[in-house]
Amino acid sequence: MLRSLKGLVCHSLKPDRGRALPRAGLGSVSSQDVPAEKPRAIFHTSESDPARHSEQHEGRLYSIPLEELRAVFPHGLPHRFQQQIQTFNEARVMVRRPALEILACLKGSNFAHPAVRYVIYGERGTGKTMTLCHVVHYCSRQGWLVLHVPDAHLWVKNCKELFQSSYNKDRLDQPLQASVWLKNFKTSNERFLEEIKTQKKYIWGRRESTEEGRPLREVVEQGLARARSASDAVGVLLRELKQQSQRGSFRLLVAVDGVNALWGRSTLSKEDKSPVSPGELTLVHNLRKMLTNDWTGGAIVTTLSQTGSLFKPSSAYTPQELLGKEGFDALDPFVPIPVPNYSPREFESCYGYYLERRWLQHEKARTEDGKAELRFLSGSNPRQLDRLAGPL
Amino acid sequence: MWSRRSLVKPRINRAKPAQRMAGFRLVILNDKLQHKKFHLNMKNFFALLLAGTGVYLPEDLPKPPGSIPVFPAPGDLALAGGVDWVIPKVPSNPDNAVILSMVLGQQTLRLICTTTAVQRKNVGASGPEKYTEAFIKKQIEEFNLGKRHLANMMGEDPETFTQEDIDRAIAYLFPSGLFDKQARPLMKHPTEVFPEQRKIQWGEDGRPFHFLFYTGKQSYYSLMHETYEKFLNVQKHQDQLTAQDLPLEKEKRNLAGSRWLTKIELEEMLLEQVSDDDYSRFIQLLQKLVALPCADIEEKYIQKFSKELPVQLQKVVIEPLQHDERGVAFSTGEGKRKTARATAVVYDNGTGKITVNGIDILHYFPVLQDREQLLFPFQFLGRIGKHDMVCTVSGGGRSAQAGAIRLASAKALRSFVTEKEVEFMRQAGLLTVDPRVKERKKPGQEGARRKFTWKKR
Repeated sequence: MLRSLKGLVCHSLKPDRGRALPRAGLGSVSSQDVPAEKPRAIFHTSESDPARHSEQHEGRLYSIPLEELRAVFPHGLPHRFQQQIQTFNEARVMVRRPALEILACLKGSNFAHPAVRYVIYGERGTGKTMTLCHVVHYCSRQGWLVLHVPDAHLWVKNCKELFQSSYNKDRLDQPLQASVWLKNFKTSNERFLEEIKTQKKYIWGRRESTEEGRPLREVVEQGLARARSASDAVGVLLRELKQQSQRGSFRLLVAVDGVNALWGRSTLSKEDKSPVSPGELTLVHNLRKMLTNDWTGGAIVTTLSQTGSLFKPSSAYTPQELLGKEGFDALDPFVPIPVPNYSPREFESCYGYYLERRWLQHEKARTEDGKAELRFLSGSNPRQLDRLAGPL
Repeated sequence: MWSRRSLVKPRINRAKPAQRMAGFRLVILNDKLQHKKFHLNMKNFFALLLAGTGVYLPEDLPKPPGSIPVFPAPGDLALAGGVDWVIPKVPSNPDNAVILSMVLGQQTLRLICTTTAVQRKNVGASGPEKYTEAFIKKQIEEFNLGKRHLANMMGEDPETFTQEDIDRAIAYLFPSGLFDKQARPLMKHPTEVFPEQRKIQWGEDGRPFHFLFYTGKQSYYSLMHETYEKFLNVQKHQDQLTAQDLPLEKEKRNLAGSRWLTKIELEEMLLEQVSDDDYSRFIQLLQKLVALPCADIEEKYIQKFSKELPVQLQKVVIEPLQHDERGVAFSTGEGKRKTARATAVVYDNGTGKITVNGIDILHYFPVLQDREQLLFPFQFLGRIGKHDMVCTVSGGGRSAQAGAIRLASAKALRSFVTEKEVEFMRQAGLLTVDPRVKERKKPGQEGARRKFTWKKR
């Protein structure tokens, strides 16, 4: 049985859904289509456009249509949330205050100024990644170009192939990670890749090169075709996007999850067993350049993550602890956005959603005592609540 | 491991042959006794020995009076063979060492010690009467004398030197590492040490003293006779009163709080074997006696055979609620489990927030099981979101700490709750200390229960 819910849960009113839904199964369809849809409980909202979310929607769940999901989030959603989407056949994200804050800032920001950096931080399982996804959804709805790195930690650990970069002898390439990322990037930003043209000629090898003025799509395809040059393709892409966003033809959102990986340590080692610092990796190096605030016409939203981090104690969650001195200086100045555990209202909303979807099967879970027990045992932590509700 | 905490090191007597005493073993105490009071006193009381190459007895050691008898600890290797006497110091010698003369139980002192105090017969080998009356009397005298000397040694007042003080002094002077308390050196009144025994029942001419000797159970039958005599007395008194038309006194003796002697206690009292039938007949007779209306006359006699039942355990007192400076009611409780000790302060008007050692429970107890344990008392009483709690805990592992906090919070919650609910909590097991501790590993086994792998050959 697929069980998942990490952090935020999204709900939305679906007019064609009846009240009595069968127990979740893969792709279950409601057999009884009760035409009169009683208003779904208070914790749902029908507003599926993040641009229109405001305080009145706080604590409620909105849904993302599944087709849009595939386009916007080829990668980036937490794994448990993806499982839950499959189970419930809908993607529901809770509107929470930190996300609303970022959205308000984004709406009001002046894109002639250098890009503002937002760092979302909080304890484990409080919903940082989901907040980031909410922001990404908003930006994609608004027509921005979204550069979403689902987890920067993946680039600094468990890398099977490391090659010396042809462009710069000191650096190391990661063809696998780069190609995976390029593929996902292509799915999410098809139309932009057609529109944006290169400004320089790039030579990939002895026989391959990309002329000036060609659409970026060719760069991406080059990277996908030749794995060896994938990392360089990524670098080229980032550079082009950075330069061209200043012109103002499009807005660029750089969304990085687990940004503390870029300035931490890595578990990789070179052939002579010496450790590799993240700065020596091409991908990381280019991404770091992207995260500097010397470009305009967009925003940078990042998340700190202890879960995938290397060599950091589990109690660390503040930017100071996780980024270290180097990272903090690199990201400074930034707007810190703390993400707390569920407020009582949000907890009610999440609990109500589970009940409604018949996720909580235990008869005692329906009672007030059961709710109090769940609240106590999970400590109003979204992840804990999700894991608790699983077996019930 | 035998020399743990023992100040006494037995040494073989390497004295010159002329001075060697058969049957002696001398022991030299370290002169590292720090206890000042004791030391000062010991200066007055103990003979000296130079801790040189050999051990020798100073010439002026006729056993000075005031030697203290100490009954031996048979198994204590620190005092191998058992210490019998602590010899008071001869004033002329200024050194600081201490002699403890160890006398092997079986052999008697000869020559040097002329006082009879040190003589000890091989008591176990004598006939049916193991200890003569004279012997017991002597032992009592020596005990009393020794008690006074011990008091002097310890710097206490000899008049008010109780048995507890004696025990403490002996435990200090002869520290023993043995686990069994009864195996350690003790100094008690001889009546407690030597079991009571029947004296010889006949005189020198072979004629028994007691007239019922030839019944075989003289004490029992004499007791029955005595009791029946009292019975007849009471009946006579009753008849007298009825003859005088006086009302019979009828004060109900409270039998609820007392019980009769058990068969074993009766045997100890009579110093002879009593069969079950005889015992039941005796008890029946006593009950008949008590049933008579005027039995109060013989109350004193009856009381010899009845014992008070232990008083019912006192009820546990539940502390009332206290209030802190904000006016919020709170209450404290303590709990323990295995090696963990916890204190909990439960506040009223709370939101269900719990802090352990300054850390939120979600971080302190990442495992669900521990949080469930903490939840249990509140859930049982239906007060999950109503109280705040601040706890401190130390020792043990995660599970033990959770159990200790659970007990502490349950105890603290008693003050907030009615008596009936306290009784429910007690029946649910929330207020009981969990007695399970780690079982000891035994020698010859790999663990407490696990045996070594059995090999056929």
